[in-house]
Amino acid sequence: MKAVLALVACLPTVLAAQHGSAGVQVAFGDYREVSSDLHYRGSGGGVAGSFTFRKLGIEASVAGITYDPVKGSSATVSFKATQLDVRVRYEISGPVSAEVGFVNRKIKPEFEAQSMGAVRAGVRLSYPLGPGVQMGLRGGMLFGSKFSGGGTVSGVGALELGLNMAVDALRGRLRLTGDYDFQRIARTTNGGGGDVAVPIQQALGRLGLAVAF
Amino acid sequence: MRYPVLLGSLLLMPAALGAQTIQNATLRRAQAAYDNLDYRQALALARTAQRERLNGFDRARDYELLALTYSAMDSILKAVDAFKEVISLEPERELDPTRTSPKVLSAFQVALTQVLVVRQLRVDSTDFVGGQGAVAIRYTVTQPARVVTRILGGQAPLKIDSAVATGQVNLRWQARLANGDPVPPGNYTVVVEATVGQNSFSASQPIRVTHGAVDTLPHLVSLPGYDYLPESEIPPKSWKPMGLALVYSGIAIAGTSALSQGDLGSASFREAGVIGGGLMVAGFVVMLRKPAPQPARGNILYNRLLREQLTRRNAEIAQDNVRRRQQVALRVVPLSRTGGGR
Repeated sequence: MKAVLALVACLPTVLAAQHGSAGVQVAFGDYREVSSDLHYRGSGGGVAGSFTFRKLGIEASVAGITYDPVKGSSATVSFKATQLDVRVRYEISGPVSAEVGFVNRKIKPEFEAQSMGAVRAGVRLSYPLGPGVQMGLRGGMLFGSKFSGGGTVSGVGALELGLNMAVDALRGRLRLTGDYDFQRIARTTNGGGGDVAVPIQQALGRLGLAVAF
Repeated sequence: MRYPVLLGSLLLMPAALGAQTIQNATLRRAQAAYDNLDYRQALALARTAQRERLNGFDRARDYELLALTYSAMDSILKAVDAFKEVISLEPERELDPTRTSPKVLSAFQVALTQVLVVRQLRVDSTDFVGGQGAVAIRYTVTQPARVVTRILGGQAPLKIDSAVATGQVNLRWQARLANGDPVPPGNYTVVVEATVGQNSFSASQPIRVTHGAVDTLPHLVSLPGYDYLPESEIPPKSWKPMGLALVYSGIAIAGTSALSQGDLGSASFREAGVIGGGLMVAGFVVMLRKPAPQPARGNILYNRLLREQLTRRNAEIAQDNVRRRQQVALRVVPLSRTGGGR
């Protein structure tokens, strides 16, 4: 009984310390693989959510993008990439946060491009530009990358860079978001004739509208 | 030599007779003779009047006329003796030094030192909180004497002071009973009794003591001279938001360029450009907007100190008011005297 009363008593404080948001996104991206000949551009949509509790923050987003070969590319078939991003962030000091998570990208039809999965770790610098306007710059590495077509990545071969912003509207109930992700994965394969470089590079932009709570 | 004496006495008499007039006919004749400078006749008539029935005022005037006449006739010792009688009858009698000749004045002063009286007993009208103030009592004793000052009128006489004194004496009475409580409200009499051997003289002054409530202090809502300061302040407009948005976007674009794989051709900056552009627009808008008020840490600390001071001061006032509600404001007022001392 005492524990329940204590929980009820501290509930307002706990609730005041947590913030969340959920919304939809418009995604657009640029995808390249192996060489400049395999070059795709596409767009799609997605959903995203975030939850913050004191110094801890969790972000997750799913984006479905239909990539089409660009003009002049040797590719002929479009494909759909469904990318799941999860990031767990912990505020270390001031604007600096440590970030871990994972990325998973599924490609349909299979083998038109590389499906992949990896664990990510990095750092984020956040800065409030003004009342209700937040921006962040993040950089990190992808570890333990797995590809549907096989291949490996050296220890420092998979890097990512990101830029994000959030603008509060309607007294913080609505949030306009912008998110940029750049991944560069130095994948190599060995089909028996030695290592062959088959790099993957994706630039993904997302503009979203979220409801904050 | 006689002129000043005459002049002084002529000026003195109307003042002395201002309140009352001489009733006895013989004394009036003696006065008339003195006024006509017929001192022998004045002396004879004054002595004759002494054998007649005189009231107190006439008797004092008779002796005073004798003293003045003796002074005019240069019989100083007799003048002193006559003044001693005057002082015994009217201890508060004063001669106006501006209107009286030095010869008469000196005779009067000599007479004063030879008669034991307590004169000019005065009690000041005053207000004070019981236990924190006192009533000033003054009197003059003409000879060295054991002087005991008492307050009569309560359940038991209160002895204020007992000392050997001469000349002017100043006392302070706290208007408290023996147990320390303030004296109850009512009418009292301050009695000063002087004794030398078999001679004694006492003078009295009635007073009224009233009780009242002690005023309490109002609680403070501010400290005089100290005002609360605004706890937030609007910082000046700054290029910083736009600059930072530019730097962050630049880093993202430059990073993209640097990390791009050469084999994959030139990197696409479309995505970074859109998001970076949006960020710079946001930074520009923030830069143009009125900055949000920021907490003024110094002012917050100052206000906190001020509030603490105010709370502390009000706690002291509350404590003081509790004490004040238990206190009594005393008012002591002297009443008019009905008679002289003996």
